[in-house]
Amino acid sequence: MTTPTPRVASRWSRFRGSYLLYSFKRDLVAQLSLVVFIALVAMAVLAPWLAPMDPYDLAQIDIMSSELPPFWVAGSDPTYLMGTDAQGRDLLSTILYGARVSLIIGFGAVALQALLGVSFGLLAGYLGGRMDAFLMRLADIQLSFSTLMVAIVVGAVVKAAFGGATFSAYAVPLLVLIIGLAEWPQYARTVRASVLAERSKEYVDAARVMGFTSRRIMFRHILPNTLSPIFVISTVQVANAIISEAALSFLGLGMPETHPSLGSLIKSGFDYLQSGSWWITLIPGLVLVVLVLVINLLGDWLRDVLNPRLYKG
Amino acid sequence: MTLKKTLLASVIGAAMTTAVLPSVASAETTLRMAYDADPVSLDIHEQLSGGILQLSHMTFDPLVRWTQDLSFEPRLATGWEQVDDTTMRMTLREGVEFHSGNPFTAKDVVWTVERLKRSPDFKALFEPVESVTAIDDTTIEITTREPYPLLLNLATYIFPMDSAFYSGTDADGDPKDEIVKNGNSFASAHLSGTGPFTVVEHQKGTRMEFERFDGYWDDESPGNVDHIVHTPISENATRVAALLSGDVDFIAPVPPNDLERVREDDDVQLVTMSGTRIIIFHMNQARVEAFQDPRVRQAFVYAINQEGIADRLMKGFATPAAQFSPKGYAGHVESLEPRYDLEKAKQLMEEAGYAEGFEISMMAPNNRYVNDAKIAQAVAAMLARINVTVDLKTLPKAQYWGEFDDRAADMMMIGWHADTEDSANFHEYLTACPDADSGAGQYNASNYCNPALDKLVAEANLEVDLEKRAEMLQQVEQTLHDEAAVVPLHWQDLAWASADNVMIEPILNVMNFPYLGDLVIKQE
Repeated sequence: MTTPTPRVASRWSRFRGSYLLYSFKRDLVAQLSLVVFIALVAMAVLAPWLAPMDPYDLAQIDIMSSELPPFWVAGSDPTYLMGTDAQGRDLLSTILYGARVSLIIGFGAVALQALLGVSFGLLAGYLGGRMDAFLMRLADIQLSFSTLMVAIVVGAVVKAAFGGATFSAYAVPLLVLIIGLAEWPQYARTVRASVLAERSKEYVDAARVMGFTSRRIMFRHILPNTLSPIFVISTVQVANAIISEAALSFLGLGMPETHPSLGSLIKSGFDYLQSGSWWITLIPGLVLVVLVLVINLLGDWLRDVLNPRLYKG
Repeated sequence: MTLKKTLLASVIGAAMTTAVLPSVASAETTLRMAYDADPVSLDIHEQLSGGILQLSHMTFDPLVRWTQDLSFEPRLATGWEQVDDTTMRMTLREGVEFHSGNPFTAKDVVWTVERLKRSPDFKALFEPVESVTAIDDTTIEITTREPYPLLLNLATYIFPMDSAFYSGTDADGDPKDEIVKNGNSFASAHLSGTGPFTVVEHQKGTRMEFERFDGYWDDESPGNVDHIVHTPISENATRVAALLSGDVDFIAPVPPNDLERVREDDDVQLVTMSGTRIIIFHMNQARVEAFQDPRVRQAFVYAINQEGIADRLMKGFATPAAQFSPKGYAGHVESLEPRYDLEKAKQLMEEAGYAEGFEISMMAPNNRYVNDAKIAQAVAAMLARINVTVDLKTLPKAQYWGEFDDRAADMMMIGWHADTEDSANFHEYLTACPDADSGAGQYNASNYCNPALDKLVAEANLEVDLEKRAEMLQQVEQTLHDEAAVVPLHWQDLAWASADNVMIEPILNVMNFPYLGDLVIKQE
């Protein structure tokens, strides 16, 4: 007779048994949010195949079909389901492409923030001393610049150095850079705080006694234990980054009007909001609100789940 | 988070402004007005533009001015007579004082015309003037090189400046009468005229304050405005909302898509006029080799749908154009129609060897003409259809005119109102061979040059037989049209709106120079 060797639970079954899934199954809001979020992401990713026209191809735009209302309003054209903007762009296509830009910038900027913030936070928290003081002062200085100011400065420098065409061509990576650079201290501070709490724990001492390098201890031992707050901040930051992009584009500092994102679309319709053509601003505005709302709701839920004080409480 | 709040606040703010009830005017004789922009400078000879001329009419007085029905009204000149073919004698008003307290005399007029002849922008206009001489303190004689039929039209642009005030050197040692384009000079920050208002404060781009001049000579003016606060608002929707909510009493321009809303509001009045200001795009032949080929220029004209822009973007509040001269002008050619034809445009591009298209840069202002930035975007989209890729940049006019003077883009937008209410003026400024000495072609960002046309216009200016003159000017229009010197878009209509008690109608005119000195605000 052989005793069955205790099988190590697979990742999937561990996930199935986890509290994460357990609470998700019981939280209707979270489920709905996830469904909406996935739907929006899918639409944005599949935009080139879903959209009836390419809103970035100026040759497809016809001024004669400008300001057509969406399908449920009298005077609409069935070709343009959600109507058109003041230049004759199909609004549905533009929203799909715009959401794509918003999501790319949102996630890209957060990835950059996380990269910078986590590295600096780990270094500051683990090494302490001068390094800590230096990095945290750097974070303070960074926080004293608003995203707007960073955007204006970077935008002006790039436009002056390489011309408007270059800025338009690289608007997406530039916005990622701007928003990423402007908000990394959020991560750095949170990570540093967690690291300070973890650093004095026995397992870190044990690792140090075993002679592991600082780098290994930081990334392989401490970092995994600070992940939950990072996840929570990330959701909030993605929503923030999307809003930042929209605000910058609304102010004319972000995506060029020939490559509208949700923010620049809202801006371009702003003149028409009170004079009949409300859909140019309202529909992309609603999409933006829904997108940010579901991300925030998911973030809220995640925070509740990962917060040890509320754990199973 | 702050950004989020800012965005939210601005959206909510805009939504709320219309809901707020009109507030009671703070002081009864204060006019709070909002144009789309403020004048770029206080030096009225720095730039030949609508904004500067509007400022001139507020703070200076011309020798004569146009009335609403386009006849002449004496201002600082009380009478005029033709002495011979080339000389006109003008009698000046007595007892007029400048803001600085200096008395106004014939010497100031002579000084002003001499300065105008030095101004890079104005000198082409004053080219026909040989000299101005002071006979005595209240009489001047204007001598032209040749008989010039439009001398009185020109006199509407002579706003006598305070010669004593503008003489000498400033703190930096620069002469006070220096004209510096888009820069700092004494005259660009200080002002002394004879006009109804003095400038109290000028914060560029944000706020301008005027006070009525105590010693203003015109006692008969019905105007009762003591104080003007001008807050430029470049956003169309915000400007209209500011009027409807009672934050300002007078706005211009009213964007075409808000005309209905303003007309239907009971507390405000709307005044519209069909305008004579032509909006065009220059195609710079010096920057882009392809533009030297008339077929390419024609292709551009054929590719651009003027009627679409006038109809959709301007909501019919503009007349599509195929030439400079509006109907009623001597040079207007009845048979010229907008040429939109995409197939023809593609064919012309192919013939010229540019079927694959090319890339150009384009600049347009975003607070100068009605819907200027949107028009530029639409034109960029239309050009994409003939494979021309456009790098478009729109800027506020304070920066735009500097770029325009540098000819910084391959296609640049400009609107032009004939200063003399005459066809020849369009050609002299927009399409004449550029010549810095005479000032010809000062706003010719096409670098178009056809000496035969220059000669024809010069001859037309000497022609006293008006019918013959019209024929010559029409020939000029026809040639410019055939050679597609520029892309004409439309003649822009004019619209102003004000609170009900602000009687703007009598002070407005088709030149868009509101005579605010005569403005009456009815007291409750």
